[in-house]
Amino acid sequence: MNNHELKTRREFLRTGLLGGSLCWTLPAFLSRTMESLHAQADGALVQGVTGRDGNILVVLQLAGGNDGLNTVIPIGNDEYRKARPTLGLPDSSILRIDPQTGLHPSLSGLASAYQDGHLAIVQGVGYPNPNRSHFRSTEIWATGVDSDKSSTTGWIGRYFDNACSGCDASVGIAMASQLPQSFTASTPKGVLYQGGGGAKKKTSKKKGAADADGSMMAMEDDEDGGEAGGSIGMLNGSGNLGHLSALDFLERTEMDAKVSQQEIAKASAKAKNSVPYPGSRLGQNFAMVSRLIAGGMPTRIYYLSLGGFDTHTQQAGAHERLLKDMGDSVAAFLADLKAQGNLGRVTLMTFSEFGRRVKENASGGTDHGAAAPLFLAGGGVKPGLLGQMPSLAPQDLWDGDVKYNTDFRSVYATILEKHLGVKSEPILRKSFPLLPAYG
Amino acid sequence: MATLNASDWDRNKAGILLQRAGFGGTPQEVDALAALSPAEAADSLLGPARLVSPEPPPFLEESGVEEALKAERAKMDSLPDPAKADAKREIAQYLRATQGRQITELRGWWLKQMAEPLRATREKLTLFLHGHFATSFEKVRSPSLLYQQNSLFREKAYGMWSDLVLGVAQDPAMLIYLDGAKSRAEAPNENFARELFELFTLGEGNYTEKDIQESARAFTGWGIGFSNGKKGGLQRGAHPSFKNVPKWHDSGSKTIFGETGNFDGTDVVRLTLAQAAAPRWITQKLWRFYAGWPAPEPLLQELVREWQSLRGEIRPFLMAMWTNPNFYDPVRAADRVKSPAEWLVGLCRQIGRPLPAPALSAHILNQLGQNLFEPPNVKGWDGGIAWINTASISRRYEYGSWLVEGTQGLQKLSSLNMAKMAGESGLMKMSLPEISPEGMVTRHGPKDMDPVEKRASLEKMRDAVALSPAPVGGITTSEERQSPEKLLAALSTRFLSGETIPEDLRARFQQAAGEKIPFTDAAVRKMILAIVQSPLYQVT
Repeated sequence: MNNHELKTRREFLRTGLLGGSLCWTLPAFLSRTMESLHAQADGALVQGVTGRDGNILVVLQLAGGNDGLNTVIPIGNDEYRKARPTLGLPDSSILRIDPQTGLHPSLSGLASAYQDGHLAIVQGVGYPNPNRSHFRSTEIWATGVDSDKSSTTGWIGRYFDNACSGCDASVGIAMASQLPQSFTASTPKGVLYQGGGGAKKKTSKKKGAADADGSMMAMEDDEDGGEAGGSIGMLNGSGNLGHLSALDFLERTEMDAKVSQQEIAKASAKAKNSVPYPGSRLGQNFAMVSRLIAGGMPTRIYYLSLGGFDTHTQQAGAHERLLKDMGDSVAAFLADLKAQGNLGRVTLMTFSEFGRRVKENASGGTDHGAAAPLFLAGGGVKPGLLGQMPSLAPQDLWDGDVKYNTDFRSVYATILEKHLGVKSEPILRKSFPLLPAYG
Repeated sequence: MATLNASDWDRNKAGILLQRAGFGGTPQEVDALAALSPAEAADSLLGPARLVSPEPPPFLEESGVEEALKAERAKMDSLPDPAKADAKREIAQYLRATQGRQITELRGWWLKQMAEPLRATREKLTLFLHGHFATSFEKVRSPSLLYQQNSLFREKAYGMWSDLVLGVAQDPAMLIYLDGAKSRAEAPNENFARELFELFTLGEGNYTEKDIQESARAFTGWGIGFSNGKKGGLQRGAHPSFKNVPKWHDSGSKTIFGETGNFDGTDVVRLTLAQAAAPRWITQKLWRFYAGWPAPEPLLQELVREWQSLRGEIRPFLMAMWTNPNFYDPVRAADRVKSPAEWLVGLCRQIGRPLPAPALSAHILNQLGQNLFEPPNVKGWDGGIAWINTASISRRYEYGSWLVEGTQGLQKLSSLNMAKMAGESGLMKMSLPEISPEGMVTRHGPKDMDPVEKRASLEKMRDAVALSPAPVGGITTSEERQSPEKLLAALSTRFLSGETIPEDLRARFQQAAGEKIPFTDAAVRKMILAIVQSPLYQVT
């Protein structure tokens, strides 16, 4: 967005057309006045790039460092058994993908997506000179630059800058506690959506009204997420002001909040979920994304996060619950998109800042590692195993961690080129080989 | 280090200092500070070097919980399998409910300390330290250990940085949070050593993986134990405390930052703080927290020299920061975003209303992104503009209306889970499940309450969280209510420290009060709300 437009937005705001006399309660977002004002704003700000039928990327961050080796598991592998005497999963319980490779038993949702032909597994994803700090490694994944370089913008932010410079902030929606660092753009984009959505609200309201003792049930989701307790919950990068002062940024955000809240409420109220989702926060967030897609939001990137993967101690049960939540939520989401007829437009990509140490530690957990597998799911995705299962032989490890064989930016480049239909080099600042992940 | 001339000290700067050093306050407090010299103002805000300890939160006195649980657990073991699972679940829920109630009390207790004018400065620093040495209830689960850590921050806040770092390395909540308590010579856990370097003292790039591994070995032996032989628990006296266990310690030789020896945790802290990166890291973090923007290189070097000449003593360093002319740089004046705690406590102080009930205050802060005792991760809160996003700004404006205009009627409160809040406030207290020898498990949770009783406690909860309109009678004089200009002048002195208001915002504020002169209390509140619901109010 250029300065002129920014100025217009500020004037728009300051003249009080949108801000002045309106009461700032949530219902106000839905008021008639807002609706008609927004229609004007809409015409001026939304451009062709964000057509309502364009392709969509959903990013799922597994924060804390997912144990890749217990997610996509080598079958009949002695090194795996040796390194994981207590955490290793018996071959018989592993959900087979091919004779050498399978999924964690709680990932039945993903296994059936694989059977249906909607899942690709990219193995050994990482980058040269891996960093074992949560924050630094998350930053490397978010900015998409070499591990010895830094960048003030994120890879998704640069996609916004390159491909949708004129579009509304809601071109990217994150359901997290802060905007992810990968959203940081030269021109700020992306809105944050938290808590109960339109359709969900309505149900709870009804329930509340019908409740004989009249207790007010929450319309906002319960805070007791109770993720398996790692010290790493949601990982988000700090924002970047770019050329804006804090005050300018506040004004921008105020404006974006008014416009996008209303858009989201409108879109999510239009659609219904056609399959049941897990009741977890992640499941409900996926349900919301599905409604927003069905409701015609012009959003290109959705960003979800699941925390709790920093399993230094007592990993087995916690990891199983997290994977189950992920697998079941993703399976419901894919089924819902299929029923809507939108599955072909959507790619889901999971990632985690790193995998974990091959050898388990003495506290029934695993320490920070390096490369790990990730999942790509969606109607356009060509099913299969990509990359190689990294060797676990001690001489092939780097300081006890598996070595990468696929640069994570090859995954980004493939999605940008083959799914979002843009040139990847200006966004990733380098050319990366594409993966055969799309038909 | 450069210091501000007394002649440059004015009301505007005094207002900035009051807000940044603590949680803001009334125009009278600003006037009092403006009448002093800059150094006197900073010194008076900091208060005595020695802590006058606040009255601890009452939940610490609760007793009997652990004994009762122990008895229940013993009964549980002899039960047949299906009943055992039932009992286990019920006891876990009881424990969870009790912890939830206690942490809510602790949150309310801490906010109350922040709202005490004479404690505000030390509490603000305690809040900084909580974010810096982030530790979460989500993993630690023990409200009393979190209180203990909070007290450590408060107690040592004004003293030597090295004492504080060492205290944190031996703090039970931290030992749980970053797994130090489980680290053993045969399998050292690297979690604490890594975050000590990366986040607490040095910053990324100032240590090697080898330094982490060797330091993790040095920290082995530092764990937690129960001096009176009890295990776990919520009861006073049954809390684990720091324990140095020689048989867990790796007494071999280690090489850390190029030095070799049979080091332990104390040595690691000493070696770490001697690194050149150490003073840069903490001074930059303190500057950013209080000034709102990162110190550029020449200023940072000045700060580091000051820190070194004070040998890392925090109270005089804060004095030096707050009397540095750069701290009041007018160009950066609007670049510091208030944290949610600062926003909530400050607004309540400015409009002269008590804090909302603990369950509601905690809910508001959580919704605004600063759930006390539950930072998002070990990095703490990023702060600054990261506080602001499309969701949080709408909520600031929404809660602003609750605090200024009240929560009249049920509509606003309908977004709250009253039953959850009643549980957290002890109005619907969960009792221990009963387990009969035959394996019957009877739970006593809110769901099993008598409907009449339940309705009554929900009603009570609604009363407890309902907010009346802010008492603005004393805020403005009858003369100020005669014209929109005068009213705005009075309110901007109180709420915006007399900052210059852009013309368009000025119009937005004045229109909010309507046209009927003299302005009624309701009209005054409308103008206050317009100010609170503006970008300008979110910064200092």
